[in-house]
Amino acid sequence: MEHEDPRNGESSHRSSKKPKISSKFILESEIRDEFSHHQPRVARINNGSFGSCPGSVLAAQRQWQLRFLRQPDTFYFNTLRNGIIASRKILKDFINADHVDEVSLVDNATTAAAIVLQQIGRSFAEGKFQKNDTVLMLHCAFQAVKKSIQAYVSRAGGSVIEVRLPFPVNSEEEIISEFKKSIEKGKSNLRKIRLAIIDHITSMPSVVIPVKELVRICRAEGIEQVFVDAAHAIGSVKVDVKEVGADFYVSNLHKWFFCPPSVAFLYCKKSNISSDVHHPVVSHEYGNGLPIESSWIGTRDYSSQLVVPAVLEFVNLFEGGIDGIMKRNHDEVVKMGNMLAESWGTNLGSPPEMCAAMIMVGLPSRLSLNNEDDAARLRSHLRDCYEVEVPIFYQVSKDGEEGVRDKDGFITGYVRISHQVYNTLEDYEKLRDAINRLVEDGKTCKMLCIE
Amino acid sequence: MASSLRTHTQTNSNTSAMNGTSASASDPKSQLSKKPRLHAPPQPLFITPSDVLFEFSHHLPSIARINNGSFGCCPSSVLSAQQQLQLQWLQQPDHFYFNQLQTRILQSRNIIKDMINADHVDEVSIVDNATTSAAIVLQQIAWGFAEGRFRPGDAAVMLHYAYGAVKKSVEAYVTRAGGYVIEVPLPFPVNSVDEIVQEFREALERGKQNGRRVRLAVIDHVTSMPSVVIPVKELVRICREEGVDRVFVDAAHGIGCVDVDMKQIGADFYTSNLHKWFFCPPSVAFLYCRRSTESSDLHHPVVSHEYGNGLAIESAWIGTRDYSAQLVVPKVLEFINRFEGGIDGIKKRNHEAVVDMGEMLVKAWGTHLGCPPEMCSSMVMVGLPACLGISSDQDTLKLRTYLRDKFGVEVPIYYRAPKDGEVGPVTGYARISYQVYNKVDDYYKFRDAIIQLVHNAFTCASLPT
Repeated sequence: MEHEDPRNGESSHRSSKKPKISSKFILESEIRDEFSHHQPRVARINNGSFGSCPGSVLAAQRQWQLRFLRQPDTFYFNTLRNGIIASRKILKDFINADHVDEVSLVDNATTAAAIVLQQIGRSFAEGKFQKNDTVLMLHCAFQAVKKSIQAYVSRAGGSVIEVRLPFPVNSEEEIISEFKKSIEKGKSNLRKIRLAIIDHITSMPSVVIPVKELVRICRAEGIEQVFVDAAHAIGSVKVDVKEVGADFYVSNLHKWFFCPPSVAFLYCKKSNISSDVHHPVVSHEYGNGLPIESSWIGTRDYSSQLVVPAVLEFVNLFEGGIDGIMKRNHDEVVKMGNMLAESWGTNLGSPPEMCAAMIMVGLPSRLSLNNEDDAARLRSHLRDCYEVEVPIFYQVSKDGEEGVRDKDGFITGYVRISHQVYNTLEDYEKLRDAINRLVEDGKTCKMLCIE
Repeated sequence: MASSLRTHTQTNSNTSAMNGTSASASDPKSQLSKKPRLHAPPQPLFITPSDVLFEFSHHLPSIARINNGSFGCCPSSVLSAQQQLQLQWLQQPDHFYFNQLQTRILQSRNIIKDMINADHVDEVSIVDNATTSAAIVLQQIAWGFAEGRFRPGDAAVMLHYAYGAVKKSVEAYVTRAGGYVIEVPLPFPVNSVDEIVQEFREALERGKQNGRRVRLAVIDHVTSMPSVVIPVKELVRICREEGVDRVFVDAAHGIGCVDVDMKQIGADFYTSNLHKWFFCPPSVAFLYCRRSTESSDLHHPVVSHEYGNGLAIESAWIGTRDYSAQLVVPKVLEFINRFEGGIDGIKKRNHEAVVDMGEMLVKAWGTHLGCPPEMCSSMVMVGLPACLGISSDQDTLKLRTYLRDKFGVEVPIYYRAPKDGEVGPVTGYARISYQVYNKVDDYYKFRDAIIQLVHNAFTCASLPT
């Protein structure tokens, strides 16, 4: 059967056929069109959780899905492999990896964590590591990753050190200093730190971490393996894996890189360890290297891994391509963050240079957000009654530490707002007005009704 | 050929009278206006042949698609339902995540629980495919070794014809952790269930030598290549008699293909793909885990927020991804129930048709079937003429590609190494399948392709590497 040029994806992709005559770059109306499947009245300012995907990429995906359904055997034997390699090659260049063998495609960062941590678990089981050898992670690491550490490290006899980072945070130096202190503490019990897991952009609360510096510190301290969980990175901050210097680096493509759910890349620097990482769903390709193992883990829909070429075409419709998108997202989210903080009389969770396309904005203390339940209530209430989708963070106050105050009390809650190409000013005004309304009405979180 | 092959749907004698020719000619208004007819014709009792054609109109028409076993199939009404669900997610993913996803997964699990006669919905988890189920079960075995519950050298038993991916999983999780693996050789061609039972008993004996415990038996319900229906109920019973700790039935080809009754079969773990013979889109499978102390220690290898809340709950969220294939089970049930006898009727007719077609082919080619009809389901192994010179696994792939490219026939081929002393043996078998979208012509196409190859004195040796 035919061997199509994988860069084209499929024959009916819109932008490969129509040349842009009227404008050099994508128009506002075209962007609206691309995201017209988003629920129209919702102020969608939570791109961080589940990402977004433009209509033209979804169309490309459907074409791949249809080709499989039409004749799955031909697809399996003649098309799938090349399609995945094409995506991996694009990503390799994008992230400045040395070799395409270092780039695997998996479902999401959660899967990547399982891959890296299973390898650690095996090292304990096989006696390469001793009981109480340690894994270091951030206290605010993503919950799923913490559970993975429990499942594969703690269960196998390893210990865990959590690094508490300050929040709100004022400078990178604060983070670097805390990190150094935690490593010292870890080493003080003569424990060997086998792996450090560092977020590139933390989830909740969201802050851009100076990973390059932290990885350097890890190396200086003799930490064997470093895994950077950069779920939010690609399409949000610059990603240069050689610069960062970690052994493992994962980022989701469906969050900020316009892929459909779901797909992520896992970079594994070539080393002795990288030949012993395996996909946990073992199939025919076991032992042929992680990228090859991951490209076939049984019958399933691989279409989201195949649309990377279509995504590249999409981002290049924008001025400055992905760099331009990143810069504008950053500038806008900072602007909107400041607008909200000013309107509410609150603060930002970090300085602008420590955020990418998301920023934490303090909520008025009068809302009395005092625990996780309050945060969940407020989030649901905003969704159900105000049509605003935004995640909310409850800041546990540290003993003996003075929190940040507004004119009425301590700020204990933050919204994490995001900006992506489909957002408009109205989205943030809607959030601004909703919160002001609640405060004016004297509402506290506990009083809020949810559907 | 028997007319049952052309249509396996109920021929409703009222159908043609009802469709489109009924009575609104007497109502002048309906001819002039666009109003819907007041007296729409009643729906036919069962799905019609043209409906079936339409439901699978996305299949490439130029191909005789007789390999339903590898990748399955999905009717367009189910694909539409899936697209709707995907769209709902894309429209407002947070709302879907918080308010829809878990309820819908539970709904699918409940339907499956009833279909497979499980005691409790907690016993039913939904995962991507049987390959994932194998990883889940085998990872638990690996922990058994790592945590000292099992001794190095304790055994796992599996069939020689176990699926390649499962064998690799056993290597990754059992062998690597210190387990000893025993393969049960099975005869092929096979003549009776007794032959299989005998080999299995002998393998268990070997497993128990040197004071070894057999910690796990992995038994296929329907082997993949060569495809044969295994007497699982009997083998599970033997496992219990012989003190095998746990039994895992790999029924990738189970639901929609053979009878799937958890209590009857009695295994500890049972997995089946829903996208092969149960009309789901790629991909979705169920893993049944009989409730016991050990079943609480099963975990999905992709660990997420729900770790520790039970396998079913863990599997319902393994990070952001497209769960839509898991949510269309209700729609699939609707589709299946449009056929006479529902899934049981489909299974029965598929079986009868594939046996008919298999016998037609072996008669035309002068060969034989790989097993008696009662040991096959909706797939059967059909011997290929020896003169084609199939002499390796490589040859089967080359021939398969040749049949696809030159004759528009999609069928997987199995190489059976000849035994010493065999004269002019049949070394190649095609695994033909029958599903509701197939037609007699598909098998004629295959028959004629092989006849032509034989006529042209074709051999696999002539194909380029």
